[in-house]
Amino acid sequence: MVATLQQVLEGVLLRLKHHITTFLPSLLAALILFLAAYLAALAARWMIYRIFKGLTIDRFLRQSGVVFMLDRSGRVRATRIVAESVYWAILLAGILTGLSVFDTQLTTQMIESFVFLLPKMVVAGLILLAGGWLSQYLGRSMLVWAVNESLPAPRRMAAAVRVIIMFVAVVVAADQLNFARNVFLAAFIILVGGAALAASLAFGLSGGATLRRVLDERRDEAGEVREGEARDRSLWNHL
Amino acid sequence: MPTPPMPEEARRAAETLRRADVVIGIPSYNNARTITHVVRAAYAGLAKYFPQLTAVVINSDGGSTDGTREAVLSAHVEDSRLLLLSTPTVAAHRLSLPYHGIPGKGSAFRLVFQLAKALGAKACAVVDSDLRSITPEWIDLLLRPILFANYDFVAPYYHRHKYDGTITNSIVYPLTRALYGVRIRQPIGGEFGMSAAVYERYLERDDWETDVARFGIDIWMTTIAVAEGFRVCQSFLGAKLHDAKDPAADLTAMLHQVVGSVFTLMEEYEPRWRAVTGSEPAELFGFRFDVGVEAIQVNVKRMIDAFCRGSRELAEIWAETLHPETWAAVADLSRHAHDPGVPFHIEDELWARVVLDMACAFHHHRVGRGHILRSLTPLYLARVASFVLETESMLSAQVEDRMEKLCLTFERMKPYLLEQWNGRAAPPSASPKGRHAPAPKTRQEV
Repeated sequence: MVATLQQVLEGVLLRLKHHITTFLPSLLAALILFLAAYLAALAARWMIYRIFKGLTIDRFLRQSGVVFMLDRSGRVRATRIVAESVYWAILLAGILTGLSVFDTQLTTQMIESFVFLLPKMVVAGLILLAGGWLSQYLGRSMLVWAVNESLPAPRRMAAAVRVIIMFVAVVVAADQLNFARNVFLAAFIILVGGAALAASLAFGLSGGATLRRVLDERRDEAGEVREGEARDRSLWNHL
Repeated sequence: MPTPPMPEEARRAAETLRRADVVIGIPSYNNARTITHVVRAAYAGLAKYFPQLTAVVINSDGGSTDGTREAVLSAHVEDSRLLLLSTPTVAAHRLSLPYHGIPGKGSAFRLVFQLAKALGAKACAVVDSDLRSITPEWIDLLLRPILFANYDFVAPYYHRHKYDGTITNSIVYPLTRALYGVRIRQPIGGEFGMSAAVYERYLERDDWETDVARFGIDIWMTTIAVAEGFRVCQSFLGAKLHDAKDPAADLTAMLHQVVGSVFTLMEEYEPRWRAVTGSEPAELFGFRFDVGVEAIQVNVKRMIDAFCRGSRELAEIWAETLHPETWAAVADLSRHAHDPGVPFHIEDELWARVVLDMACAFHHHRVGRGHILRSLTPLYLARVASFVLETESMLSAQVEDRMEKLCLTFERMKPYLLEQWNGRAAPPSASPKGRHAPAPKTRQEV
């Protein structure tokens, strides 16, 4: 009985020793790699802050309007975005390199999946970023236009523009990632079809007056307004 | 950017005419109703005051469909009825040509200047085609300072109804005067005279395809002439009366193009205006006389409503565009816009800060530039409403005094502009007064 117990314990200890001798060097190597990556990331971030500060790139990006693509208030600094991106990229590369040291099926699969997905994720991220900026820009354009034209519910119109553009961006990004492609596509078709139908009905029901006004303007521009038909004309010239 | 070639029709016309001493340019688009009178006045002016010079009247048309070009070509004046002291050596030629490119007044002027250069004209004058009050004397007053007094640029000076030219009165004149230190009372008047040096300078520039192609052309021409040190003067032309039109049409586009041009030129000529303090009057030619002008009706309530609506809906843009204190004063103003018994009123200082904040936001790209300019419309309407209410019972001379006060406020705010231009800074010590007149009243007193 005691001999059997001793045998089992020895077996466990042997397996533990085997595991330690097999994986400990790899673990140490992975930790060293990760530490090196962490230090490199810190150094790169520090250098980018220093270099960009010297070149006053933030000022240039701010004045050129590029930074407003990312943040409307202009509070986000381009330097910070670049520095943090580089920092996390180096850190991520360190983690992946560290994992590759183990050379197991699981880690290899993880790395392969990640490397395969990474470009698509970057592209999808850029699509979402561009969609976000475009939705903000066109939403504001719609808002200002609707206010100046005295149209009803300008903020709702602007919100609708933002939602539609963001939705399109999400559909394209999902398609890029092969994620629920059919669901998004079907939703997109339903949304666009519904919007077109609603717009047609709205125009059909209430667009008559607008159309008449536009045609009157055209006729007026062509000097065809008959006497007594003159609209809201005035001698007031803004210029 | 090299100057684009003239349209074939214009090139052939220039080859046929070969040379001219003076050129009169008339831009048009569906102005058949008034352009005959303008062409006849130009003809008579040339025959009466410059009989010894060869001249060409050029109508630069944007594709009119109402017979404008035919009206130009058929307009005529009988010299015998002008009682001329000397018979013109050569009758003025006349051309009606379509311009190419972006539709707008600026593009029309570009063709006129190109032809003037091709013909070697010593002086060029441009006049609007919707004028009803133009007389032959206008041609003399716009050209004589160029031809005989060595001036390079002649701006118009006219009597207008106190509510007419509200973009000029509330934004362009005070701002241009404060920036460049020269008092050109009608910087976007529409009628100008210029020397060959000036129009050739215009043709050299590469920003014709911007707002300059449209309503921005007038302030662009004036600003360049003033900022680049050309000799500038004004000529008194009498009253300015023009054809009636829908005042709401194109308002936002007008503001966008005119104010956008002012702000863009502010960036280009920053070194020029930074050092300027105060202002000097520009020489004024012509015999000044009082003249009656037609009354103009404006709907104040509609303008105040537009402002309140803008304040409600455009808060996200104004909050980013205006200085926090300016924005707080504007928001307060809109909250109490419809209070009974208290007239709606924007103090000069608040209005100046609104305009200067917008210029700085444009410079710093705080929001998309198009959004900044288009969001100005409700604020502008508020200022017009305030001005109309304030000057309702004033005579023209009193209104001019009122204008002078506004201009002096803009000049006094120059340090604030410089601080904001360099980077957001604290507003001037004067407290924001965007409240109703009289300002000191509290809500309880009201």
